[in-house]
Amino acid sequence: MQLTDIEPGTLGPCPVAPDSLQGIKRQQTNPSRWNGANWAAFADGVRASGIELRESMAARAAFATDAGGTAHGLAHGVVVARSTEQVAQLLRAAQQCRVPVTVSGGGMTTEGESVAFGGVLLDMSGMSRVLSIDAAALTVRAEAGIFWHSLAEELRRQGLDYLSAPLNLTSSVGGTLGVGGIDVNSARLGCSADQALALQVVTPTGDIVECSDTHNAELFQRVILGYGQFGVITEATLRVRRYTPLRMHYFYYASLSTAIEDLQLLDRNDASDYSGILTIMDCAVNVLVAFDSDEREAAFMANWRPRLRAYGEFGFGLRMLIHYALRPWKLGEAWYLLQRKRELFPELRRSEYMRDGAMHDRSVVFSRAVWKFWGSRQMVIPDLATSAEKFIEVVQRGNAACRKYFAHYTLYLVGIKLRPEHRAHYEMSCIPPDAEGWAYGCEFEPLLDDGIYSRDYLQSFKNEIYDIGVDMGASYYRFGGMMKGYIRRVFGDALVDRHLALKRQADPAMILNRHVIF
Amino acid sequence: MPALAQSAVRPSADFAACSGCGLCLLVCPVWRRTHDLGLSPLGRAKALQYGVHAADIGASVESCTLCAACEPVCPEEIAMVALTLDLRRRLRQAAAAPAALARMGETSPPTPMPQASAAAVLLPDRALRERPEVLARVSTLLGGASAIALGADDGADIALALETGTPVPAARLERFLQRLRRAAMIVAADGLLLRHLRQWLPQAKIVTLGEALSRLPAVRRGLRASDLYVIEARAYHADYQRLVKYYDGLRTAATCAFNLDLQRIAIPATARSLQQRLGLEPIDDKVQLNWILRGREVTRKVVESLEDGAVFAQVSSLPVVHLVDLADDGASPK
Repeated sequence: MQLTDIEPGTLGPCPVAPDSLQGIKRQQTNPSRWNGANWAAFADGVRASGIELRESMAARAAFATDAGGTAHGLAHGVVVARSTEQVAQLLRAAQQCRVPVTVSGGGMTTEGESVAFGGVLLDMSGMSRVLSIDAAALTVRAEAGIFWHSLAEELRRQGLDYLSAPLNLTSSVGGTLGVGGIDVNSARLGCSADQALALQVVTPTGDIVECSDTHNAELFQRVILGYGQFGVITEATLRVRRYTPLRMHYFYYASLSTAIEDLQLLDRNDASDYSGILTIMDCAVNVLVAFDSDEREAAFMANWRPRLRAYGEFGFGLRMLIHYALRPWKLGEAWYLLQRKRELFPELRRSEYMRDGAMHDRSVVFSRAVWKFWGSRQMVIPDLATSAEKFIEVVQRGNAACRKYFAHYTLYLVGIKLRPEHRAHYEMSCIPPDAEGWAYGCEFEPLLDDGIYSRDYLQSFKNEIYDIGVDMGASYYRFGGMMKGYIRRVFGDALVDRHLALKRQADPAMILNRHVIF
Repeated sequence: MPALAQSAVRPSADFAACSGCGLCLLVCPVWRRTHDLGLSPLGRAKALQYGVHAADIGASVESCTLCAACEPVCPEEIAMVALTLDLRRRLRQAAAAPAALARMGETSPPTPMPQASAAAVLLPDRALRERPEVLARVSTLLGGASAIALGADDGADIALALETGTPVPAARLERFLQRLRRAAMIVAADGLLLRHLRQWLPQAKIVTLGEALSRLPAVRRGLRASDLYVIEARAYHADYQRLVKYYDGLRTAATCAFNLDLQRIAIPATARSLQQRLGLEPIDDKVQLNWILRGREVTRKVVESLEDGAVFAQVSSLPVVHLVDLADDGASPK
C-alpha cells in the first residue's frame, strides 16, 4: 500500500494501520485517555495563578506524538515551562485536582512516554537557558529543558563541550538524565546521566528541591534514571570538558560476534576515546573508533590496531564481492548495501566538518546522518542491555528477530562504563543489575523505508526482542510507555513494588508521567 | 482577475513528511526568542498533520522570518519557505495585499537590457537602493557599467508580494523575468527574491551579493582574522548546498569568525516577522545579535547586507563595515 501525500489542513489515514478505518479522524489511538474529571476547575485555578494554559487544537497537536510516531494522544492543555516556580505551582494544582501531568523535553521518546493522553502536557523546552559556565571547574548549570545541541552551541563559544549525549541533537538534558543516554564515548565516560553533578527538582507535590549525591541523595538517586516518576528536573549541573575535534577510524567485519569481541577488547583496555558498532543488517558490521588526541590515536595504532580482526575498506569490499558472486540470489541485498554505503559515507565526511583529517562537531555529523538515513515518521527501536558476557548471544538472537521481521535494519551497539558509586542510580533502569565494569547495549532499528506496517506488526517485533531480554536477564532502555508491560517481568515484583511504594509516597495522586512506568 | 503566479515550484516534500526530529528548532530565530513550539516549523507541521487549518496557525505563519535556516537542516527536505508562503497566501494579508498589488499594477521602469551574453545584472535590495553611493561602489567593484547592468526593475514589489503571500500577477512576473533571461549572471541582494529566481530561471547563474563581492581579491584582502563576517542568511540558505562549501573555503582563507552555528547555518542578524517587515510591530533584533556576538572576541563586523549593518551599528560600538568598504582599490574608506 502506498501512502498518498497529506495536504496541510487534512488528516490522512493512520500510516501505521492500513487496516484502520480510512479517513476517520483519530485524535488518539490509545485507550487509556484520562477522563477529564476536574479539568475545568484545574484550568481556572491555573490561569488564576498567572500560568498560561493553552487549549487550542493547534497548541495541543504539536505534542500529539513523539519521535516514535506510533503513540498518539492529545493533552487537554499545554503549559510551556517558564520558571521553576511556575512548574511547582502547576504540580501543586495538578496534585490537588488529580490532573495528570506529562512532561516533554525534546519529545524524543519512541514509546509514547512524552505523549499526553489527556491532562496537561508540560513543555520543558521553554526552560532552555544556560545559567552559568565554570570553565575552570569544567561544569555548567543549565535549565533542564535545553537541548543537548543548544548546550553544545553555548559551550563551544568558550571552547568547551559536553561529555556525552544521545546522537539526535534535540534530546533535552532533563529527559536524558531521566532515562540514561548513550553516546559513542559511553564505554569510557558512562551514560549521559552519569555526568550530572546536581539537580534542581520539582517534586510531584510541588516542592523545589536541590539534590546531588551528597545532598538529598535519595531523591537524586530516584530522579536520575527515574523515567520522570519522582520529579521534574528543572535545572542541572553537569560536568563538561574542553572541546576537541576527533579522528575517526572505521573497521569492517563480516561477523557480529567477532566485532563485539574486538569492541569489548578495546573497551576493557581503554584503547580508544570513542567506540561503537554500527551495522547494515548483519552483512556490513562497522566498528567505529575515534580519538581526541594524536597521542591516543598513535598508541592505538601501535598497540591495538594489529590485534583487531577487521578488514580495511578495500579488503572488505573484495570479500563482499566474492561473497555475493557466489550467492547471486542475494544480489538485491548487495545492491542495497552498496547504495547505502554510497549515500551514507559522504555524509559522514562532509568537507565543511573536516579539517586536516579530523572531524569537527561530530555530534552534528552523526546526528544529521541519523535523522537523514534512519529517521522517519515511525520509528521502533527496541533495545537490550546486558552484561558483557551475555552480549554476543543477546545480539545474535535479536539480529535473528530483525531478519525475521524486516528486510533492512541497523544495529547500534555501545559499551557503557559503569560507575560503582552510582550503583544506586542504576536500580530499575536500563543498566542490568548483573553487569560489572561495563554494560552493553544494542538498539535494533528496522529501516521502515517506504514500507507500511501495522502497529500490531511493529509491536510483535518489539515483543520478540524484549522476550529475549526476559529470557536472558537483560534490561532495556525503552521499557516505559507502550512497553511497560515488561517492567515486572524484567525487574521482578519485589523491586517494582518497592518503587511503586516510593512513587505513591512521592506522588499521592499519581499524576506525574502516569502512563510511563506505573 | 489577472492570472496569478504561484510559488515557483511545488515543494518536494510537505509538512506531512515531518518526522518531528526538531532539528529546525535549533536554528529557528523565532524559537530562540520565544521557545514556543507553536511558532516553529515543527509546531506548524504537527498542527497541520493533526487537522488544524491554516487560519488556526495564522500567528505562527506570520511570525516566520523566512530566514530559511530550517530548510538545509531538515532531513526530510521539506520545502519550508515555499510551504510557509503557501500558507501566507491562504491567509492573504488584508493590510499588505492591496498596497503590494497596487505597486505591481504600475508600469515598472525599463531595465537596461544586457547587450552581450557576457553581461550581468545586479538586482539591489531596498536597503542598497536607498544608499546610492554604496550601490555605485558595488557596481564599480563588480566591473562597472560595461560588465554589470543595474536593474532598474529590481523586483522589489515582487519580493514584497512573496513575503506577504500576495499572488504575483503572471504578466508582472513575466515582465520582470524577461529582462533577466539573457543575463549571463544575476547578482541578487534580496535573499527571498534570489530563492525564487533560482526556481523561475533554473538555467541562469544566480549568485548572492555577498558571494559576488567576497570573491573579489580586492575585498578578500581586506578581511582580518579578528573580523566577524556576517553572512546574509536568507540568500545563504537559498543556495545552501553550494554556499556552505564556498563559505567554508572563505573561512579557511580568511581565518575570521563567521555568524555560523555548529550546523554551518547562518544565524540571521535581522530576523523579522511579517508584521515587523510591514512596520506593524516594533523590531527587536537584540536576541539574535546577542547570540551572534556571545563569546566572540572580534574587533570589527563585516556585513554583506546593509540592513544587517544597520542593526549591528545600533547595538555595538565596534566598527561595522560593508564588504565594499574592504576593497583595497583605493576608493574605499579605511
